[in-house]
Amino acid sequence: MRPINPDRGVSPKIPPCLREEGYKVIIITFICLLLSINIAYADTNNSEQAKCLKCHAEPGAKITFENNETLSVYVNPADFEDTVHKDLSCSDCHPEFKGGQHPKRRFRTKEQYRIRASLVCRRCHPEEKICKKPIHARLMKKEHEGIATSICADCHGAHSVKPVEGGEVFETERNYCMSCHHQDFSLTFQNGEKLPLKVHLVYLERSVHRNLVCSDCHYWFSRDEHPERHFRSKKDYIIALSETCKRCHFDKYTKVLESIHYRILAQGNKNAPVCVDCHGGHDVIQVSKKKNLIVQKCRKCHSEIYQKYAKSIHGRALFEASIQDVPICIDCHRAHDVENPLTLEFHERIPEMCSNCHSNKALMSKYGLSTKVVTTYLSDFHGITLGFYKKQREELYKPTRPIAVCTDCHGIHDISSTRTVDPKTLKANLVKRCRKCHQSATENFPDAWLYHYEPSLKKAPCVFLVNLFYKLFTPFLLVGLGLQILLHIWRYAINR
Amino acid sequence: MNSERIRRFHTGRIIEHWIAIITVFILVITGLSQKFYYLKASQWFILQMGGIDNVRFLHRYTGAVFILLSIVHISVAVIGVVFKGWKATMIITKKDFLDAIQNIKYYLGLTSTPAQCHRYNYKQKFEYWVILTGAILMSISGIVLWFPIFFTRFLPGEVIPLAKALHSNEALLLFLIISIWHVYNAIFSPDVFPLDTSIFTGYLSRERMLREHPLELAEIEGGDFEEKDREFRNMHMKEETILKMK
Repeated sequence: MRPINPDRGVSPKIPPCLREEGYKVIIITFICLLLSINIAYADTNNSEQAKCLKCHAEPGAKITFENNETLSVYVNPADFEDTVHKDLSCSDCHPEFKGGQHPKRRFRTKEQYRIRASLVCRRCHPEEKICKKPIHARLMKKEHEGIATSICADCHGAHSVKPVEGGEVFETERNYCMSCHHQDFSLTFQNGEKLPLKVHLVYLERSVHRNLVCSDCHYWFSRDEHPERHFRSKKDYIIALSETCKRCHFDKYTKVLESIHYRILAQGNKNAPVCVDCHGGHDVIQVSKKKNLIVQKCRKCHSEIYQKYAKSIHGRALFEASIQDVPICIDCHRAHDVENPLTLEFHERIPEMCSNCHSNKALMSKYGLSTKVVTTYLSDFHGITLGFYKKQREELYKPTRPIAVCTDCHGIHDISSTRTVDPKTLKANLVKRCRKCHQSATENFPDAWLYHYEPSLKKAPCVFLVNLFYKLFTPFLLVGLGLQILLHIWRYAINR
Repeated sequence: MNSERIRRFHTGRIIEHWIAIITVFILVITGLSQKFYYLKASQWFILQMGGIDNVRFLHRYTGAVFILLSIVHISVAVIGVVFKGWKATMIITKKDFLDAIQNIKYYLGLTSTPAQCHRYNYKQKFEYWVILTGAILMSISGIVLWFPIFFTRFLPGEVIPLAKALHSNEALLLFLIISIWHVYNAIFSPDVFPLDTSIFTGYLSRERMLREHPLELAEIEGGDFEEKDREFRNMHMKEETILKMK
């Protein structure tokens, strides 16, 4: 795009004598000119329009430029009647055609023609006036720097130019911003990515932020300021934008600071999600009610794990039966302070996570599950060791030996129901799991664990009988010995 | 006559008892804190010890010492009885049951004298056998728990929880017997209070020998058994008559 020189344009020519006469003369002349235009109006306006529209109201009328580009010269009279310019006559904007003249003009390109046309606008809307709007100031700056020429009609339209919402004075900030941002245009980042800047009011109205004004979030911008900012990529922009969220949601922000997502972001991995990636922008809605929807957010990046989860007993219950009691990603990993799940600390907290639901009697009875799975684990070797390791981690040192937890046998994201698997397969799988830590474990070894059953006559009868024997024998013996001691003391007392 | 002392325990037995005191003490505190892992006191102790792994390590190796002690004890007893002609004084006989009945009658005031016992009375024999069988059970179940992978190579997996049940229940039983029965008989019993020192010094006064082990005394001193019997009766009767005079 070539910068244009306003002197070579079609700006009104003022006789040199008037310039020399000074300020007052100019004002007087200007007033006279205005008056004459007004007088001329009544006469010419309707007749001129009618004359022009004879041809230009024909749909399909067009001109062809030298480079074979075409431009429609069709004017819809009805549309024009709605515009702010409805009281102007054609030649007010197309001065070459004044007084019934229709000179033949030549333009190389459509662009060239439109630049020329834009200069006409500046006659009534001079730069110093329109530059009060930051967006215009920015465009003008670009123009002066020779970067790009602004074409008024790009944003405002030509014959269809309509009063912006709320009239000339924007009643609300939103109206002010929407006067441009209702249009299809986009921001191009340094790496060539594009971000549409059109704001869909429908989504905004439905969002939880519907009562906020634009600058509440976009705090760099206001009616007075529309700074030009440069971002290398769309993600850079989104990261910068997410900084705005903490201004209200500081509690969440501090949690995020502890998250693995934030850590990898800080390490320079731009793929890490920030607020907007999960919550959306103008369409931010409260999602905490629908678990099905929340998992979709994690899926965007963790699709492999999502696939595994979807096939698990929990995933199937959620997707097939829409059971909302099942855990989803954030129930274990948390939403904002997402932890690194590969640490021992996280691993050691897994039984706690599972027991959030599996020790809840009311919840488990709904699905015919036993809450003893947690207690039996916690009172066995692994559970006890784990309990102490957690305490030791806090108070003594950091144990480095991983202890088998729920997920080591049941799987992590691919947890399946043990009811549907036949016991032989179950045991065979279990041996494999045992051997991860107890390398030389044999096929008998998994039976050392009573599979969450409490000993009874049916399950582990030997253990049950031994426990029963001692339960009876120990008190019996103690009562007997106690009686002996009492009798002995009694006899001694009597004898003395 | 009071100052007269009779040798009762060989130095080997005294050392054996000391080792037993130490090992059992360590085993009890490290073991019970694992059994009752959920108690605040247990958790405090385990953390003081530097963690559950340390406690388990200590428990296992102390257990190994205790097992060794038990093996030596049994071997010595067997070798002594079989090859050296020692008297199997710990064997429970019919007399022990009669003695128990006799003593209960005595406590209840149904007879005037308690049972006359030999080297070990029925209470001591009972305690000895409970602890010896307990030691064997604890040793076996303890080794199984120590090496679960080895034992499940030729035994069903269920032996592990079985061993755990045995080890844990038996431990509590032994602990209660030692802490109630043995501690009473060796410390708090009016007969010995404040402490029965015989296992530490190896000696027992003749008076106590006569009161508690008249049959053994008669054997040691030889001579007329009737005389000892009279002496024994007098000892207990004296108290009775004093009581009646009051």
